[in-house]
Amino acid sequence: MYKLAISTSGEYVSAAIFEDKLLSSFVSKTNRGSTGILLNQINELFDKTKANRKDLSALYLDVGPGYYTGLRIGLSVSQGLGAVLGIPIIPVNGLDALAFAAHTSHRKICSLIDIKRSEFAYCEYMPVPGGVTRESDPQVISVERLEIKLSDDVDKKLLVGNWDLIENKKILTDSNTKLAEPRFVTAENIYNVGEKIKDYPNFNKINLEYMREPDVTLSKDSLSGDVKLYD
Amino acid sequence: MQNEQLILGFETSCDETAIALMKGDDLLINKISSQVEIHEKFGGVVPEVASRAHAEMIRNLFHSSINECGIDIGEIDIVASTDGPGLSGSLVVGYNFAKSVAWALQKPFYAVDHMVGHLSAPLIEHPNMDPPFLSLLVSGGHTQIVFVEEWGKYNLLGSTIDDAAGEAFDKLSRFCGFGFPGGPAIQKISEGGDPDKVNLPRPKTSNKFDYSFSGLKTAAVYFLQGLTDDDKLLKKDFAASYQEAIVDSLMNIYEEAVNETGVTNLSGGGGVMANTRLREKIQTFAEKNDKNLYLPSPKLSTDNAAMICVAAKNNLTTNEMNIEDIRLSSVIS
Ligand SMILES: [Zn+2]
Repeated sequence: MYKLAISTSGEYVSAAIFEDKLLSSFVSKTNRGSTGILLNQINELFDKTKANRKDLSALYLDVGPGYYTGLRIGLSVSQGLGAVLGIPIIPVNGLDALAFAAHTSHRKICSLIDIKRSEFAYCEYMPVPGGVTRESDPQVISVERLEIKLSDDVDKKLLVGNWDLIENKKILTDSNTKLAEPRFVTAENIYNVGEKIKDYPNFNKINLEYMREPDVTLSKDSLSGDVKLYD
Repeated sequence: MQNEQLILGFETSCDETAIALMKGDDLLINKISSQVEIHEKFGGVVPEVASRAHAEMIRNLFHSSINECGIDIGEIDIVASTDGPGLSGSLVVGYNFAKSVAWALQKPFYAVDHMVGHLSAPLIEHPNMDPPFLSLLVSGGHTQIVFVEEWGKYNLLGSTIDDAAGEAFDKLSRFCGFGFPGGPAIQKISEGGDPDKVNLPRPKTSNKFDYSFSGLKTAAVYFLQGLTDDDKLLKKDFAASYQEAIVDSLMNIYEEAVNETGVTNLSGGGGVMANTRLREKIQTFAEKNDKNLYLPSPKLSTDNAAMICVAAKNNLTTNEMNIEDIRLSSVIS
């Protein structure tokens, strides 16, 4: 039986197929945020490994945080496959996946994912034998606040994730902070965490980690008036 | 044989999550999960809100569709979906869901242009409708006169240079606090009202088949701002007059296009084509001039997935599985 992992939350689209161990994977940078290549890449993975799509037994999905459209593409593809093949979708938080990938470190791990508009999703972890534990809840943080947070904290820490997307690199020169891999979430990162999750929700109830309420500013070119009309 | 195949269709280009199943000429399921209640409080469709709602709804809608018509998923022969134009964040949800359903089923996937979907919607109830015909496509997102010489040969004679007809309804409705969406709200308020009570313009443009509605909206707003308590104008009279101005504008230019092209088959679609007054007027025009009229019923005029199924059934598709992304522009230009 095969397992498929998907990550479309950021600049890279990534999918990987497993049969106990990794069989094949791809990571490709998206063109202008387009993630429509996902299903074609999945198709190639199955061709290459000669896996039968009916033998797929589980899906591991990066549910964010990250770019909204990318997240919805990953979810839609997973939901479509899951619905037809009748297999579970195991949702994995991308911040957790990044931190887990760095868990052999002895430092505190700070996980960072770009969510656009000069904001990042951020979460802190401590390494424990065989994994990591969250030290805080995932939060939305501005670049300015991140700079303060990193320099105020005297702990030795490892920064993983999208730190290379911070335009003002000065922020990253704090002497206690070491910049580390992985720099973005891959399907393999997602699988490695997802495999440990024993208790996952029914696939009808998968929530994406948007982290922010939707922007509801409408272009109101006509304000509602004080209209003198009678019933 | 293609005509007896079981076709599964998806449509998520704006604020309706829609799924349909069609076998031969039979529409087995035509489900539309409207987000009107969600967008009502904003007075318009908020793209990010719409995308989130599509992503939340599509799987359950798919399951309930399959369960309700009692088929086995494996019986599906073809999967089709709108690939554009529309709100990109909304389109990707239905498009990717549909494509992955096709992939998992190992069945062909076809993409259908949203406007071609509207053009073919009358085929659901009138399978005998044949080109050439002239279609008036009117909704919140589009206002077009399309001459269909033959299937696949679409000639856009005119379109709006500013607001779509549906937007003209929405914007005024928002201004007056009549409700959202504006078309149905204004139609309801206008019941029993006098359409000649208020004299509003029927805007024209330099290209004789193009539409313009922003001037009408502005004229209506100025008119309302000039009202005093002594005018005692009734809501229903004003709503009826505004609706009449939009419907007249639509019909005046459409009638000119019918006369110039000399077509005998008339058609239409889009959410505004569900408007009772517009339907009456186009019907009267067709009868008076001895034309055949093929209108989808109101439920099939608004965005739906049955039109995607019927377009796929008639091979009116634009691309297949290997095309990676949604499109931003229509094949009709
Ligand atoms: Zn439409």
